[in-house]
Amino acid sequence: MNTLKTVGHPTSRIDAEKRVTGTATYTGDLRLPGMLYARVLRSPHPHARIRRIDLSRAQALPGVKAILTHENCDVIWGSGDMRNKRYLFNDPVRFVGDAVAAVAATDRHTAEEATRLIAVDYEVLPFVLEPEDALKPGAPEIQPGGNLSPTARGAHEPEQYRRGNIDEGLRAADRVFEDQYSSPHINNAQLEPRVAIAQWDGDRLTVHTPTQGISNCHTEIARDLKLAPEKVRIICQFMGGGFGNKNQDHDFELMAAVLAQQAGAPVKIEFTRKEDFLAVHGRWPTKQYYKVGVRNDGTLTAIQLRGYSGMGPYRKGTGGIAGIEIYQCPHVERLVYPTYTNKAVSANLRGPDFPQGVFGIESLMDDVAYALKMDPVEFRLKNMTRKLNDQIPYTSIGLEDCIRRGAEAFEWRKRWHAPGEGSGPVKRGAGMAMGSFSSSMGRSSAVIDLDARGTYHLHVGVTDIGTGAKTTMALIAAEELGVPLEKIDVIWGDTDRCPFSVGESGSRTTTQTGWAVVEAAKDLKRQMAEKGLPQGNQLLTATVNANPAPLTGQARYSFVAHFAEVEVDTETGHVRVTKYVAAHDSGRIVNPLTAESQVKGGATMGIGMALHEELLYDRASGQPLNAGYYGARILTHLDTPEVDVLWIQTEDPYGPFGAKTLGEPTIIPSPASVGNAIHNAIGKRVNDLPITREKILGVLA
Amino acid sequence: MSKISRRRFVEGTGAGLVATTVPLQGQTAKAAAAVPHTTVKLTVNGTVHRLDVEDRWTLAEVLRDHLGLTGSKIGCDRGECGACTVLLDGKNVYSCSQLAVWADGRTVQTVEGLAQNGKLDPLQEAFIEHDGPQCGFCTSGQLMSAKALLNHNPHPTTDEVRAGMTGNICRCGNYNHYVESVLAAAATLAADSRRKA
Ligand code: FES
Ligand code: FES
Repeated sequence: MNTLKTVGHPTSRIDAEKRVTGTATYTGDLRLPGMLYARVLRSPHPHARIRRIDLSRAQALPGVKAILTHENCDVIWGSGDMRNKRYLFNDPVRFVGDAVAAVAATDRHTAEEATRLIAVDYEVLPFVLEPEDALKPGAPEIQPGGNLSPTARGAHEPEQYRRGNIDEGLRAADRVFEDQYSSPHINNAQLEPRVAIAQWDGDRLTVHTPTQGISNCHTEIARDLKLAPEKVRIICQFMGGGFGNKNQDHDFELMAAVLAQQAGAPVKIEFTRKEDFLAVHGRWPTKQYYKVGVRNDGTLTAIQLRGYSGMGPYRKGTGGIAGIEIYQCPHVERLVYPTYTNKAVSANLRGPDFPQGVFGIESLMDDVAYALKMDPVEFRLKNMTRKLNDQIPYTSIGLEDCIRRGAEAFEWRKRWHAPGEGSGPVKRGAGMAMGSFSSSMGRSSAVIDLDARGTYHLHVGVTDIGTGAKTTMALIAAEELGVPLEKIDVIWGDTDRCPFSVGESGSRTTTQTGWAVVEAAKDLKRQMAEKGLPQGNQLLTATVNANPAPLTGQARYSFVAHFAEVEVDTETGHVRVTKYVAAHDSGRIVNPLTAESQVKGGATMGIGMALHEELLYDRASGQPLNAGYYGARILTHLDTPEVDVLWIQTEDPYGPFGAKTLGEPTIIPSPASVGNAIHNAIGKRVNDLPITREKILGVLA
Repeated sequence: MSKISRRRFVEGTGAGLVATTVPLQGQTAKAAAAVPHTTVKLTVNGTVHRLDVEDRWTLAEVLRDHLGLTGSKIGCDRGECGACTVLLDGKNVYSCSQLAVWADGRTVQTVEGLAQNGKLDPLQEAFIEHDGPQCGFCTSGQLMSAKALLNHNPHPTTDEVRAGMTGNICRCGNYNHYVESVLAAAATLAADSRRKA
């Protein structure tokens, strides 16, 4: 790979100083004159009809300016459910945390107090928590038409994928392996809670909100409030993470807008941390049943998955279960049932369909390798994907190198042994897992203005959710323009000043918006050659709406393999991760410094998913029990190992300088590699995430 | 179980949102309006403030909403994340879990008080160089815990840094880079003091 001037060198963020001096302004830091504060009242029941709401005492509280309920607000939150009508306030309420009312008052304490003064008379309804129970005849119906969430075409049938003939594949096998796995609902738990400020200026609405995508948030707020798009402005200058739960428009933004309209004053709405855990969304819980057919030489003949995803009562995410596509295999069948339940809503969390699915299939494949007396690394090298679904060639694939070089860096041969070998009480083991993630090209935009002083003003609709996107965009512009990074001034996060961007979801910003930046820089260079440099107050402007033709006959993917070593205390069940290597093919790495942060962060989040995180429910009452950071046992400084990062920089002919997707692949194989390491250490498998001490002691007993 | 109302159950398990089905006892509109307040003296980043605070305000609230020091963040408002960490008389505390009235007469340092005479603290320099902040929302808290650590232990080991900062959650998971940063800053400070000696 050729060396470039600016791209590819570790570079501190262009806004780093703001981030370390407390001067980076997040939405919650803003105060507008005359601003009111809003709080939300939520359902304490998993499923109930609202008989009556009495607002009189709340309305009488001095300082209360506006109250919304389902009786006076019929705004539909379009992005809250892709199948049904989901209102801002619903009757019946369908999960503990469903919004019942929102109050705006002169200060937050008054608003909070007012929510306590609202009396709601509920008719409690039967509820159901687990997807498989929800699909049984006679289960409480959560949405009209049944609890199996319909497909995009409206059919009440599972999501299906097939190639070959699964029965034939199973018949062709020497051995068939079968097992089942589960993963719980876990929360995104981004550190910045939900807060938005809505302000009306006549009929024009400005919303300050921590969003992952100003453009889609803009279009969707306009849609949901029935406003012309030019009547809406979205601003997000700094935001404190989201991992998938701050993309598109959200109910809190709409609530703030409607409250502000009714109260005739700007409104800042704040959700508590508990609300963030219960009332927004987390990763969908799954139950996965697999059958795998294999020949004695280790060749796969069939993979079958029947999976259930608990979506909560609204279909906000796909509910997909991915992972089997990392294997080549002639006969494959996947049926997934996205199902309504009365638990918290489920939707995107970093690599939405992947880490839980990869945990299932990679646990089973590990067992298959052991049963065939094959080294798990060799087994994966033999069976890993070479073409997407065995049909479509990849534009570039570094998976084999991720596995080989990752294993080498990890010292796999030294650390790995027969499962359970070694004497206790503290046992060591090694495990690995692999993954892939789409890195397709698509629509995005960029504008570059060159002024007479030689500064390039780069307008991009990114918000930088922590990935370093602003810096990445600046590096790409500097490289293509052939100017030093300091010459680039980035303008971001404001729909009045920035063009369309795809949104920081699907890890698409570098490939898609980055591509638009390259195209805009090329256009500007052409203009400079033609028209010369701008003089006086002139600007030379390049505007690009890049919409690269979809690849035909090729697929563009990133690849990854992670390796973990653990120590398991067989007396207490305690697990410590002692070595971790993450090998990534994300094409060319634009900024190795911030990219390394991404990998470390994703792997860390995955280790937490493997060992700790789960939103627990009381089965009898349907109440969530452990919302919050302590309850979720989010990984801390003390729990986190050193994560070694290895770049496998394949040459890819597409994308900005050959860059592929990175943010989400970082979590994909992490829970599975830790699970496989635990199995290697103790010789027993825990099939249900998280792999807690009790479960480890349980399988050892 | 059937004797416990659902509302009480929700509150009792700590899972309750702001949610009740009956009005609170003895709560009248009037009582709510007349909130007790107290005058306190706070020294914040070297400046003395005399403030009339409501007794229910937390230190975090006063710093952010009433003194405009928004560098300290509120991630949970319940003592679980560390985003609100400040130094109270030199010790790192969660400012969301301190009432402002408790800080009467005491000294507070926030992230805004780290840079001296326009010069960044070596910790801030190291955070920039080692890419400590991703989203940056936990960063002020990480900095203040690191500051407290280096104040009483100028030469920490990796494990001591981890232990000293373990009350500061980073969901972006950038712990490795934060620890690296603190060790680098400790090395810089040590080199500086050797030069001065
Ligand atoms: S905001 Fe104070 S500990 Fe989380
Ligand atoms: S940098 Fe985002 S939470 Fe730490």
